[in-house]
Amino acid sequence: MRWRWALALLCLAGSCSCERDREPAADVQLSAAQARAYQTICASCHARPGTGAPLVGDEVAWRERRALGAETLVARTVNGWRGMPPLGTCGACSETDLRALVAYVSGSAAAERR
Amino acid sequence: MRARGLTRRELLRGALAAGVSGAALAACSRGNERPARSDDWSPGRSLPWRNWSGIESCVPAQRGVPASEQELTALLRDAPAPLRPAGTGHSFSALVPSAGTLVFLDALAGITASDAARFEAEVWTGTRLSQLGPALAALGQAMPNLPDIDYQTLGGAIATSTHGTGATLGSLASRVTELTLATPAGELLRCDARENAELFHAARTSLGALGVVTRVRLANRAAFRALEVSRFVELDALLAGLAHERDANRHFEFYAFPHADVALAIATNESAEPPRKSGADDPEAVYLLRSLFRLTRRVPGLGARLYDAFLRHQPPTQHLDASHAVLAHPRTVPFNEMEYTVPAAAGPECIRAVLAEIRARDLPVCFPIECRFVRADDVWLSMFHERDGFTISIHQYVDEDWRPYFAAIEPIFWKFGGRPHWGKLHSLDAPRLSELYPRWSDFARVRRSLDPGGRLTNAHLARILGG
Repeated sequence: MRWRWALALLCLAGSCSCERDREPAADVQLSAAQARAYQTICASCHARPGTGAPLVGDEVAWRERRALGAETLVARTVNGWRGMPPLGTCGACSETDLRALVAYVSGSAAAERR
Repeated sequence: MRARGLTRRELLRGALAAGVSGAALAACSRGNERPARSDDWSPGRSLPWRNWSGIESCVPAQRGVPASEQELTALLRDAPAPLRPAGTGHSFSALVPSAGTLVFLDALAGITASDAARFEAEVWTGTRLSQLGPALAALGQAMPNLPDIDYQTLGGAIATSTHGTGATLGSLASRVTELTLATPAGELLRCDARENAELFHAARTSLGALGVVTRVRLANRAAFRALEVSRFVELDALLAGLAHERDANRHFEFYAFPHADVALAIATNESAEPPRKSGADDPEAVYLLRSLFRLTRRVPGLGARLYDAFLRHQPPTQHLDASHAVLAHPRTVPFNEMEYTVPAAAGPECIRAVLAEIRARDLPVCFPIECRFVRADDVWLSMFHERDGFTISIHQYVDEDWRPYFAAIEPIFWKFGGRPHWGKLHSLDAPRLSELYPRWSDFARVRRSLDPGGRLTNAHLARILGG
């Protein structure tokens, strides 16, 4: 919650800038079904400023989340976490799909190569 | 819902103006965690299905993601029962859970045909509403109305008679002029108001109990821009002039605030002006609202006045853009919801009774209550069947127990002849529901003919429709 209050206070000061580079790491490979899921589901929050979700490409937002480990991020995706609905609403996604999408959205794959 | 027109920035400003310390507010602004569940998934366990709010779940034997209508009909004929279409899982009621097969139409999405002259489009029902708006706009078309959110699939929204607001505008199901139904017997049936008319009237809102609707033809209109204006007003004055607001605006709704004397009025109309936005929309502002509510309740007497004063301090907001960008909104605060539709003329009296009950019982609830108008239609199981409706939606944060609140309010809806939203929480069963729908027995007859073995019936459907 602390970051939200920091954001609110920044907004109060009139200095809020929520726009980020919302392009995921280009070298992460998704299957066609996974890419469709990203475009139609994940992007509706993670590429849409103002929803409260960490945006793709926002390295500051994702760095501390990645530090929790991939298993934690995947479990939060499956079970739901704060504003993140269970399965990200992708009931058709398999565990493999969800793991790929978490890596894609969070920038995990790109971070591992750095 | 979300607290439209409320932003954390403005809430903080309002709180400070009302004399509430920002530091105190920050100190108690917690509680947006989803509660842990005993069946929480961990690596190595079978992947469950869960609904949006997290209160419904299952581990199906099979997940079907058909890539064609032929694959779908084979699945319906051969896969383990019960078979349940899942949409995006946004329903709060247990329409989906099954130990058999869940059917997802994610691969059957998009527009398959369109008629520019008649503003019609044939659409796969696996299409999410959030994708449909821009796709129709590219064809110069728009749906005349949309729900408050656009995360649902078109199929799920139609199957549950999902709706927006506007006294002259019907539910999404009322815009369907033709559909294709895949049945448990493995058939594909096309129907409209003239051909297979009984099936058409039954299948538009059918909860996935007759089969899986794969494609629908939508009666749209020319693409348009909409201007949404939100402002806080006195609740009593709003209710006194509600008929005027309802008739003077293409879309009109309001949010009543438990334990306060104000309401957030939202009027939306067509506009030819360029896009603009004043006052950001913050979907998480309802957390701050709860913090303020809890803080001010600690101060008897004065606290209630501070809470009311802070709400009154909120400035109006405006949003003008393409209709699909204005009518639907981002929403990230998880909650559970009950909604009943009462006859339109009874709406003001019913919402007054709901608010009075909350005060009389001193229920510790603050989530705004959404009130909308929907035009009557001819869909057999639509909540708006043959009567104009006034819908009242009550919500509870997902980390708080919804049961005592909803149980206290639900009997009020019954007194007004309310019909529960099929996708939201309620306690009615088939005998009670049958009294609310004049064509109930006709629907049951069509259901028996299409699914005599009950392959599409899970425990919830057995309770609300009969086994």
